[in-house]
Amino acid sequence: MNAPAAALDLASIPERIQSEVQRAIQRSIKGVEYISSSGPALGSTPKDVLLSRGTLNLYHYRPIADEIYRVPILIVMATTNRGYILDMVPGQSFIEFLLKRGYDVYMMDWTAPKPEEKSLRMEDYVLDFIPDCVRRVQQDSGETDVTVIGYCFGGVLSLLYGSIFNDGPMKNLICFTTPIDFREMKLFSNFSDRRYFDVDRLVDSIGNVPPEMILSSFEMLRPASRALSQVNLWENIWNDEYVKAYRMMDRWGTDTLPLAGEYFRAITKDLMWDNKLFNDTMSVGGRAAKIADIKVPILHAVAEHDHIVPYDAAKHLIAKVGSSDKEEVILKGGHVSVVAGANAIKRLWPKLDNWLGKRST
Amino acid sequence: MADKGNDPAVIWQTMIGEMEKGFNSFANQAMASPEFSKVMNQVGGATAGAQKQLGELMEKYLVSMNLPSRAQMVGMAERIQGIEGQLNEIKAMLHQIHHNSLAPEGGYGAARPPRTKRPPSEGEQK
Repeated sequence: MNAPAAALDLASIPERIQSEVQRAIQRSIKGVEYISSSGPALGSTPKDVLLSRGTLNLYHYRPIADEIYRVPILIVMATTNRGYILDMVPGQSFIEFLLKRGYDVYMMDWTAPKPEEKSLRMEDYVLDFIPDCVRRVQQDSGETDVTVIGYCFGGVLSLLYGSIFNDGPMKNLICFTTPIDFREMKLFSNFSDRRYFDVDRLVDSIGNVPPEMILSSFEMLRPASRALSQVNLWENIWNDEYVKAYRMMDRWGTDTLPLAGEYFRAITKDLMWDNKLFNDTMSVGGRAAKIADIKVPILHAVAEHDHIVPYDAAKHLIAKVGSSDKEEVILKGGHVSVVAGANAIKRLWPKLDNWLGKRST
Repeated sequence: MADKGNDPAVIWQTMIGEMEKGFNSFANQAMASPEFSKVMNQVGGATAGAQKQLGELMEKYLVSMNLPSRAQMVGMAERIQGIEGQLNEIKAMLHQIHHNSLAPEGGYGAARPPRTKRPPSEGEQK
């Protein structure tokens, strides 16, 4: 019974050896190319800077459709990372996808806060930066309504904004992998255990929290993955598509931003320690921020294998918002691939377009 | 086609994948303990303290060498940032003026795509 299979295996051995030898040669050639060249240009969709205020940049992407939806989109990027994760290269760009589908897109992107910006507080982000950008979007687009999309901690900021400014002008809210129950971010929670983590001392000592610290805390969640990704890169260095994808993700993943000291202090105390967003006791600048006060249509996209924001940390959002038009979508993939990988192109982006188009007229 | 189960490359990939999962899982268990948090934060706290002391020492050294201190550089950076901000404002204004000058009589809004798009009807191919 097994004889034909064994014969087939034997017959394929020369072919496999040849293939492996070719790959070994390609690895040497491509390895040199890899070291001597830079990666693909990222975030190159044409855009204009509408506002630049220290750590904050507001971009407007130039529309490419002949006809666009009435309601513009404002994307609030996570404060730990750069916004080009949503605009990698043509064909793998969420921004480009939205523009082609006829949306008018704006993005709040962040640069590293400067030493003098260490005093930026949660209030500055929620009560100043976002409302200011919303106003600019309204002025630029001539529309009152705005759809807000928040990615990861950008989602938390969007929730806080939407809770406080619940009488408008936010028309729709879309959150990607947004945590609200910070107890369920188990490792982060343990790293910042209030018995051992002296956040006051840290912030008072160094001001802004350095990117190396943020990056290493992310990498500690999967300590073997970084080293083994190098092994996989070498294995696949003959494959141009793999190398291109690796370079894009690697560059973005290591391009972590520092966090403003006071802002980090508030995140640690209010969210990591006291879990105030989940417990409905959160306030920003003295203004109560209860998720239940959000009444606009909301879509929450979460990833099945998210190791940074586990599903348990994100799952209560839809139950807690006050909206009647609300939906959670669980997609295959991890924290990043759900918004920017192959899964995103096939699953999340079309789903979002289908959901948002109807609510953007 | 070769049997993938016997393919050394596939076996290697599987082994690497399993090793990664196993190590991550083991490390995550270890890092979830309060002891880990305690040690990590003691080391982190000591490093931050040392960094602060070193910073203060360096500042004194720079002053003695008649070089600008960190505070002075931050002050300079603030001023440059202020100038950058004003330049950006001017750029934005020029950009707006340029667009307005190109716009037809109806104003700049007319040059942008109309906000009339409707979602495709159910079942329609996009």
